Amino acid sequence: MKTITLRVSRFDPAVDAEPHFEEYTVRVNEGARVLHALHAVRDEHDPTLAYRYCCGSGQCGSCAVRVDGKPVLACMEEARDGMTVEPLALPVLKDLMVDLEPVIAKIARICPAPDAALPAREEIEAIKPLRDCIECLCCVSACPALQVTDFAGPTVLRQEMRLALDPRDSGDRITDAIEKGLFYCTTCKRCTEVCPKDIEIPGKAIEKLREIANRRGLTLPRHQEVARLVQETGRSVERTQPTFLEEVPEVIEPDGPVRGEVGFFVGCMFNGRVPQTALDAMEVMKRNGIRVIVPHDQVCCGSPLIRTGQTSFLDDLKKKNIEAFARRGIKTVMTICAGCGATLKNDYETPFTVKDVTEILTEYGIEPPAKLDIRATYHDPCHLLRGQGISEQPRTLLREAVREFVEMPTQCCGAGGGVRSGVPEEAKALGAKRDECVKATGADVVVTVCPFCEFHIADCTDVPVKNLTTILLEGYRKKDAEREGSS
Amino acid sequence: MVLYNAPTNKMHVDEIVDAHVLVVGSGGAGVRAAIEASRYGDVVMVSKTIAGKGGCTTMAEGGYNAVLRDRDSVDVHREDTLKGGAYLNDPALADALVREAPERMADLVRWGAVFDVTEDRQVAQRPFGGQRFPRTCYAGDRTGHEMIMTLLDRLDATDTHLYQEVSVVDFIKDENGAVAGAIALDRDGDVVFFRSDATVLATGGGTQVYDISTNSAAGTGDGFAMAYRAGAELIDMEMVQFHPTGAVYPYDARGRLVTEAVRGEGGLLLNARRERFMKRYDPERMELSTRDVVARAIATEVLEGRGTSRGGVYLDVTHLPAETIEARLPVMLEQFLAYGVDIRREPMEVAPTAHHIMGGLRITPECRTTIPGLFACGEVAGGVHGANRLGGNALADTQVFGKRAGEFAGKAPARSGRIDPARIDEVTRMLDGFFEGAISPVDVRKDLKLTMWNQAGIFRNAPDLRTALGHVRRLADKRLCAASTANLLECCTVRNMCTTASLIVRCALLRPENRGAHVRLDADVATDPATSPFSHTYVSLTREGIERREVAA
Repeated sequence: MKTITLRVSRFDPAVDAEPHFEEYTVRVNEGARVLHALHAVRDEHDPTLAYRYCCGSGQCGSCAVRVDGKPVLACMEEARDGMTVEPLALPVLKDLMVDLEPVIAKIARICPAPDAALPAREEIEAIKPLRDCIECLCCVSACPALQVTDFAGPTVLRQEMRLALDPRDSGDRITDAIEKGLFYCTTCKRCTEVCPKDIEIPGKAIEKLREIANRRGLTLPRHQEVARLVQETGRSVERTQPTFLEEVPEVIEPDGPVRGEVGFFVGCMFNGRVPQTALDAMEVMKRNGIRVIVPHDQVCCGSPLIRTGQTSFLDDLKKKNIEAFARRGIKTVMTICAGCGATLKNDYETPFTVKDVTEILTEYGIEPPAKLDIRATYHDPCHLLRGQGISEQPRTLLREAVREFVEMPTQCCGAGGGVRSGVPEEAKALGAKRDECVKATGADVVVTVCPFCEFHIADCTDVPVKNLTTILLEGYRKKDAEREGSS
Repeated sequence: MVLYNAPTNKMHVDEIVDAHVLVVGSGGAGVRAAIEASRYGDVVMVSKTIAGKGGCTTMAEGGYNAVLRDRDSVDVHREDTLKGGAYLNDPALADALVREAPERMADLVRWGAVFDVTEDRQVAQRPFGGQRFPRTCYAGDRTGHEMIMTLLDRLDATDTHLYQEVSVVDFIKDENGAVAGAIALDRDGDVVFFRSDATVLATGGGTQVYDISTNSAAGTGDGFAMAYRAGAELIDMEMVQFHPTGAVYPYDARGRLVTEAVRGEGGLLLNARRERFMKRYDPERMELSTRDVVARAIATEVLEGRGTSRGGVYLDVTHLPAETIEARLPVMLEQFLAYGVDIRREPMEVAPTAHHIMGGLRITPECRTTIPGLFACGEVAGGVHGANRLGGNALADTQVFGKRAGEFAGKAPARSGRIDPARIDEVTRMLDGFFEGAISPVDVRKDLKLTMWNQAGIFRNAPDLRTALGHVRRLADKRLCAASTANLLECCTVRNMCTTASLIVRCALLRPENRGAHVRLDADVATDPATSPFSHTYVSLTREGIERREVAA
């Protein structure tokens, strides 16, 4: 047995105006789950504590709560001393009990055709990854789009795709899905991160539904424009200024001895819209002895097409890109754009390794820059954090480069999944939420490593937004200036 | 314990709901019954939990037995079921089960269920214990979940009215002695009276009366207890299936089901000396022997000192390809990983756990109980599985008898008898009494569970059973205390648990032989299951005993 203390959100609509926290100290067994700690609170302190539970083994989805802000199944999550237990972010009935029914009612039911026969094995296998849902609604609680739109919720869209894949179903799942907010998903993958069954809703449901919608001509007009641009120019960004590729040679040699060599996958944003940031990054690579090879025949990675379901000519892009790097014998390809990185890592099968710039720099180790006299916070790009599992490396680099680093809560900025172009009001509303978080940190600068996030957050806050490589370069410049000053 | 001022207002009926058929319970049997009954009239389904989240169907992992291949036959399925049940099954019920299981499987497939299928587009089947043909259909190891999601889809297409998180506490009978409906408590503790022409009881099992159990929190035996109080007769309540493989640690997760599919897929049972001990208990069938045999084998290994330090044995699948484990046993993989065990690389530790009550309400093949107006199906009914249930037969049972109960309840005539309001007052007075109670239901529950595990568990004898019965009766007499109206339900539940436990112990005392899951270490009559002179034990408010049967020598 061990003793733990936990804070539990209490709310009785009959007497309370709003929820408040109560702290309890309880005795629990080794290995006890959050649910067992709640049982102990009920049995030892307050029998009126309201919470749901049933199977106790992660199969029924009754007991989801937020522990330290993250939605989890209380019966599977280990109880921790000092944890805070709150209801899911849904209307609270009492204490930890929320109203699940309105969301469950939105989850579509199959409409089997009268002559429905058993599906074939491959059809069953396609459905199965979407069938494990226990309707715990962790994903609904965590989804950022739901905070600012009437998106029906990740699992509701999951079910639309599950039905779209079933030959027995006679419903029109695409029309339903669009009504339920198919284009509101930013593909931030927060739903997958909190799903107790690891269901990949953005990749296996949302993007696939968007593909079917595309085949029916139902893609949003703004997304169609992007696809046309990619088809015509190989780029998702219009050329309005000299591009990065036009500015640099094929090989960028480092200043000192060569410690390593990478190919650089530029991406459309760095190439066409914010080339200066990519040029800054090249300076940082030069400074750290890394030779950068930049194949000029590379094109868009296809991410804007995959995210919006416009995949008809995706394979051409993939082929061009893989050949551009493979032909030059490049073993490691570096990305600075989180979206390109996640796409190359997750949607491509490459004969080379793909690494984010922060992985490259932390693996080689960097020359320490002079610390900038600023308080900086870091925005986790969804396609870096969840798309590539990278959170520590950028923080390590940032801590080396600034006087003070402050964390802020992680949440999608609203730029991804085609939302910035397709549903700008949603992107703006999510951006405004980021602005609130940024302001709360009191930071002088927001640092990130994704051009989409960078560009979008800069639109939504008056605090300067900078790429991590730019911060490093500024640190080196400061270091050089200090050296000159002292000599 | 914090003391609360009990509300002083008297309980009263806050809402009355009328239906042709009232279905109590939202597991596989209840939902199937409601679907069927809705073809005949208004149906109200009352669910203690959010529908789909309660009961054991949702948790059922392994599969659904149905004869689907030419090389298999319903005769063989029937023989397997009767033999596995130690010939205590009601033959007519067993016959209905094996004959109709394939049709009910076809219903599920037609309604959209995502069962695993073979290359040649047939529902895939795997071997389960005690069966001579691999006839267990499955959806990975989340078969029951697949079924309940499909059934709820289908239910949604009917006009059934669903009352969720509303718990029936007692039946109400009319002047003719027919069940006329039920009194229930909603989430806030408000009282609802459901009136009906016919009532289907589908509340599932109740092995939560044991300290170590696979059942969900809802498996508290409410249906057995409510029906008993209403005057129904129950049979074979001593027949409690201890599933051989429950998790052993951590403490709070002990008893959690480790599906039979693990052995079906080739899992090996090893004792602490790494011996495949099943060769001493059932060399023919080994790990795939019937559950009663495997559970006793494991318990014996542990009792005789060949168990692990945590009191279990090893269940090992590390010899199987990782992909097989990932594809066929994903829930097991996920659950053990959550507790730090990667079953692809290390063995599980398992021990028996109370799983299923084979006994229950005495029913006819039309699911009629011994009181008019009340039908029963699923685990709350007795007789289908005899003295030991085959893995995979319970899910089939829910569908076959759920459909039957729904059909015959639906066809029941309108009920005309008057309802004496005093009957309702009795229930509300009982509820009022909980506000004046003195003892926490939590304490009674804990005491009861330990008593049942220690004195009415796998190995039984008369002195222990008598001690258990005395203690259970003392617990049942305690004046339980509700801290608020929302806590009334917990008092009702613990009351039901005490009643169910006493039924189990009474029947265990009535059966003097070893039969299937029931082991009396003090049995002085040696019987062979096929020729045993004993048939069902029975228990009701007015009588109890054990039936004798004529068996050809």
